[in-house]
Amino acid sequence: MTAARFTFDGFRRGLRDGAPLGLSIFAYGLGFGLVAAQAGFGVAKAVATSAAIYSGSAQLAAVSLLQTGGATLTALFATILVINARYFLFGAALQPWLGQVSAPKAYGSLLLLGDANWMFTMRAIAAGEEDRAYLPGTGAPMFAGWLLGTAIGAGAVSILPSPEALGFDLMLPAFAAAMTAAMTRVRADLVPVAVGAGAALIIARIAGPGWAVIGAGLAGGAVAALTYRGRG
Amino acid sequence: MTDSFPILLLVMAAAALICRMLGFMLMRVMPASPRIEAALRATPLSVMAGITALALANGGLAEALALGAVVVLTVLLGSDVAAALLGVAVVAVLRWVGV
Repeated sequence: MTAARFTFDGFRRGLRDGAPLGLSIFAYGLGFGLVAAQAGFGVAKAVATSAAIYSGSAQLAAVSLLQTGGATLTALFATILVINARYFLFGAALQPWLGQVSAPKAYGSLLLLGDANWMFTMRAIAAGEEDRAYLPGTGAPMFAGWLLGTAIGAGAVSILPSPEALGFDLMLPAFAAAMTAAMTRVRADLVPVAVGAGAALIIARIAGPGWAVIGAGLAGGAVAALTYRGRG
Repeated sequence: MTDSFPILLLVMAAAALICRMLGFMLMRVMPASPRIEAALRATPLSVMAGITALALANGGLAEALALGAVVVLTVLLGSDVAAALLGVAVVAVLRWVGV
C-alpha cells in the first residue's frame, strides 16, 4: 500500500474550513467553563478537564456527576464511555481513509477528533479530499477554541450571559441539520436520514440520549449494509 | 467522592481516549468489504439526522424554526457553515423575543 498524502497544504485547507468551527466551539467552551466554575472548578481544573476529555457533552455529564458527591470512578468512566460511544463509529468510518497513513499520524489526528470536524472531514472525503492532514487541520482550531473558551468561561463566570441565551446549545444540531441538507443529494440518501432520525428518537426514549446518537449511526449503517446490492 | 483530582482526570481521559481510538483500531483488523463500506458511508447521514431529530424532539418552536431555517439557508446559500451559524443567531433572537 502506498502511503497517502499528509501535507501542510492539506492541514492548511482543514484549518481554513475549521476556523469557523473553532469560533463556535470557543462559544461552547465558554458555556462549559461557566458550568465548571459554578461547580467549584477553578480555571486550571476546568482547562485540564477540557484538554483531557475534549467533549462538551461528556464533560457536562461528568461535572454534574461529580457534583452529586456519590459518584464512583467506575460510574464516571462508564458515563464518558457511553456518551462518547459515537466516537467508536466516527473512528471506524474514518479508518478506510485515515488508515492509509502511518499510525502516529493517524492516532495523532484522532486525538483532535470532535463531532463537527468529523462531519466536515466525512463531507470532504465524499467530495474527494485526498490529504489526510485535513482532519487535524480542522481539529486544531476546534481544540484551541475549546481550551480558550473554557478558560475564559471559568474565569469570567460572574459577568457572562447564559450559553442558552446566545443559542450555543443549538450549535451542534444546527451544524448537523446543515450538513444533512448539504449531503443529501440523491433520493437514496433519504434512507439513512430517515433511519437515523427515527432510530435516534426511539432509542432516546428507551435507553436515554447517551445511546441515541450511536444507535442512529448503527441503524443507518445496518440498513445500508443489508440493502447493499453490488456496485456502490 | 474522596479521590484526588488527578486520578479523576486520568480516568476521564482514559475513557475519552478509548472512544477516540477503538473504532479505528477495530476497523484496521476487520476485512474490508463493499458491504461494510456502504454501511460506513451511510453512517454520517444517519448520525447527523439523529442529532437533528433529537434537538427537534427536545426543543420547542424556536428550535424547530431555527433548524428549519438552517435547511432552507443551506440550499439557498450553498454554504452549510454560514447556514448553521445563522441558525444559531435565529434561535438566539427567537428566544430573546420570547418564542
